[in-house]
Amino acid sequence: MARFGLRTEAAQGYVMVSPTLIFTVLLLAVPLIAIVVLSFWTQNFMEFDRSVTLANYREAVSDPIYGTLMGRSLWIAGAVTLVTVVLAFPIAYFVSFHVPQERKALWIFLITIPFWTSYLLRVFLWKVILGFNGVLNSSLQGIGIIEEPLTFLLYNANAVVITLAHAYAPFTILPIYVALEKIDRSLLEAARDLGETAWGTFRRVTLPLAMPGVIAATLIVFIPVIGDYVTPRLVGGPNGLMISNMIQTQFLRLNNAPMGAALAVSAMTIVGSMALLLVYLTRNIGRAPK
Amino acid sequence: MSGRVLRIYAILYLVFLYLPVLLLPVFAFNDGTIIAFPLNGFTTAWFAELVAIPALHEALGNSLIIATVTAMLSTTLGVFAARASTRFQFPGKAGIMGFIMVPLVLPEIIVAVSLLVVLLQLGLSLSIWSVILGHTLICTPFCIAILSSSFSGLDRSLEEAAIDLGETRLSAFRLVILPLVTPGIIAALLISFTISLDEFIIAFFLTGTEPTLPVYIWSQLRFPQKLPVIMALGTLLILLSLILIGSAEMLRRRGLHKSGQKDAGGFL
Amino acid sequence: MTKPLISIANLQKYYGSYHALRDVSVEIGPGEFFSLLGPSGCGKTTLLRTIAGFESYESGALQIDGRDMAGVPANKRPTNMVFQSYAIFPHLSVAENVGFGLRRRGDLDAAAKARRGAEALAMVGLDGYGDRAAHALSGGQRQRVALARALVLEPKVLLLDEPLSALDKKMREQMQSELRRLQRHIGITFILVTHDQEEALTMSDRIAVMFEGRIAQLAAPQELYSRPATRDVAEFIGTMSFLSAEVRDGRAEVAGLGTMPAPDGLSGPCVAGVRPEGMSIAEAGADGPLAAAEIVESAYFGDMTTYRARLAGTEALVEISMKNGPAVAVLEPGTQTRLHWSPDALVFFPA
Repeated sequence: MARFGLRTEAAQGYVMVSPTLIFTVLLLAVPLIAIVVLSFWTQNFMEFDRSVTLANYREAVSDPIYGTLMGRSLWIAGAVTLVTVVLAFPIAYFVSFHVPQERKALWIFLITIPFWTSYLLRVFLWKVILGFNGVLNSSLQGIGIIEEPLTFLLYNANAVVITLAHAYAPFTILPIYVALEKIDRSLLEAARDLGETAWGTFRRVTLPLAMPGVIAATLIVFIPVIGDYVTPRLVGGPNGLMISNMIQTQFLRLNNAPMGAALAVSAMTIVGSMALLLVYLTRNIGRAPK
Repeated sequence: MSGRVLRIYAILYLVFLYLPVLLLPVFAFNDGTIIAFPLNGFTTAWFAELVAIPALHEALGNSLIIATVTAMLSTTLGVFAARASTRFQFPGKAGIMGFIMVPLVLPEIIVAVSLLVVLLQLGLSLSIWSVILGHTLICTPFCIAILSSSFSGLDRSLEEAAIDLGETRLSAFRLVILPLVTPGIIAALLISFTISLDEFIIAFFLTGTEPTLPVYIWSQLRFPQKLPVIMALGTLLILLSLILIGSAEMLRRRGLHKSGQKDAGGFL
Repeated sequence: MTKPLISIANLQKYYGSYHALRDVSVEIGPGEFFSLLGPSGCGKTTLLRTIAGFESYESGALQIDGRDMAGVPANKRPTNMVFQSYAIFPHLSVAENVGFGLRRRGDLDAAAKARRGAEALAMVGLDGYGDRAAHALSGGQRQRVALARALVLEPKVLLLDEPLSALDKKMREQMQSELRRLQRHIGITFILVTHDQEEALTMSDRIAVMFEGRIAQLAAPQELYSRPATRDVAEFIGTMSFLSAEVRDGRAEVAGLGTMPAPDGLSGPCVAGVRPEGMSIAEAGADGPLAAAEIVESAYFGDMTTYRARLAGTEALVEISMKNGPAVAVLEPGTQTRLHWSPDALVFFPA
């Protein structure tokens, strides 16, 4: 203790955090820097041409296929985020405000369980559900609602949105739930006491105070969804592919890692700046004015 | 908003959440090679077939090794970071912790390709170890989240009391802090084990000639005649995940109870 | 005082640029019940934790039992602490908590350790509670376990960090007298940190009042109350009314009260303070120093009534507390009356 006692608290903190920090620097920061550097190189058969060039980015901008994929990725991620957040809010509200205290943990547990089952299989099961001979079509035909199987269900962007909305549901419910739980219930009583209706209280008190949770949910879904690979491959069809599929193709099929790196860096930059913009625009929501 | 309407909505939502997962055992026991309704009859043949696929056993073996090592590594790294962030104040803490938590939101494909680039540039061959490194990177933030809630619930004077009563800093950690966070540590081990076992993208990019279970499953999804077997395999995997996650949750709650804290729900 | 048990000289401590302890010097004797009293952030807890060995200091000296404590860690000091939160180990039973510090005592076998623990529990009135789970205890019981856990090690000094602040009023009063009795019984030094002046006054042999990292006054309770060294101390402990005064040629002219002999060493403008019980409402025909006043406000407390009265010819308000009784009438605001006061009850401070 004498030896430790001489050191400052800050020094002890740095020592304590250093193994994890060094690991993350080596396996996250260094690779991310490497991929940025790589994106300025070009592929020359089996080797990299290490002269710095913007050729990959030029190609990314000029070839419409990349723009289409990026645009579709953003569109799908936006749609998935909107759907999950809108569908999740009432659940979070229900668990926070209408479930008795001692059963809340059980509800949250029930909501999170599907998240812990194999992602690959969950996505594949949506293919089974939405397919031409799938569960949905065979059931609808079985009870006579439709004659012919519906074909617009699978292998398009809609299927990707449905599947991803399902996959990311717990991610949205949890942050909103946490934000709602933090709301001091006497604030709501105060609003009612001051003459607000139930709806007015919700709109003027509950919703603004829940906004930090909603924003966290938005980011936690939007960012990873952009990079989803499995879902578009399995249920997207040719018109449902996203930027990740192209990144994978560049790296593993076309053996053009620099081009893949340029696409990955572009995607990260676009998503990152959109996330920062969202945080910046909403920075004052749910906070007391200074 | 009326509670009853919300309750009905909530139940429908849970059905939506569970529907795909519930189909898995249905088709795993269905006596037919086509994954569609109507069902043909009950069989356990698909489960029996699992026993006779050497490639599957090999993939399972790889996955278990990777998941075990990943769980131990990421929980250890998680203990350091969670302890640092809950016990000490130091300049730049928020930034450092934020950086360590980045893999939680970073698309896995970015993690996968960037690690791939570095490993190949360093001339290292892809192996079980490259997958372990990638999995440890994405599991560590989950471990930190779980462990931070265990560590932050601890009254700092508990440690001081132990020192005041004659223990050293190290023995105080062993006698007081460790027993109180043990449930959190086991929960972190189970969660990271589960994540690693299920993870596909990073394994897909970083595995060499030793596929993991999800990579094996992915390779089989192309063959329609193999699907019932995969359904049977998936059923077993989901059962395993449920047992692991259920135990983790039970431990977490017991830990909260033991240290006299209130349950705030959920892992995250 | 006999040879001091704890001797602190010119202690200085900073948290970054914040000056937490400013040149603190104090000596505490063996068997003394000593309190550190002050508002939150005054440095009292820092001083206690410095004695315990949890805080370092930039300069100065700290000796316990004649031994310099520089570089001696908390686990090697002859002090034990009762923490504000009690810090009862939640994963251990009551007996395991109490026996925690005996683990390293090689000279005691298991039976002796168990006996010591049981004795300590009996001493704090928790006979037979050894097998209880720690998290199932009430606040008062936790406090007793914390006491037993510290006392079982037979420390030279017991440090108590606001030990009663988490208890309700009734429990607090009961524990105050129990702590005092316990301290007399075992005869070791207790150092109590508190922000509650009544608690400090009723329990302590001596009190150090601290403001902003400095000891403002070090005295026995009666002296502290009746002869506060500074206006800050006077205001922090009890109630005091202040009247402007002027000292000239050894005589003090106090607004509303007239002239009187001034204490030595004062001259020019100053302030005279008087406690509520230092004045009383004079009965008809009383003599001695009297001052005309008008009742402005009265508050009835059952056994007492306190008044605020304006002294004639001034704007100054004084607070007076009067014991109620069958023959005592409660005066209404607006009543003209006369106040009896004694020059001994006045304390002078430089303005």
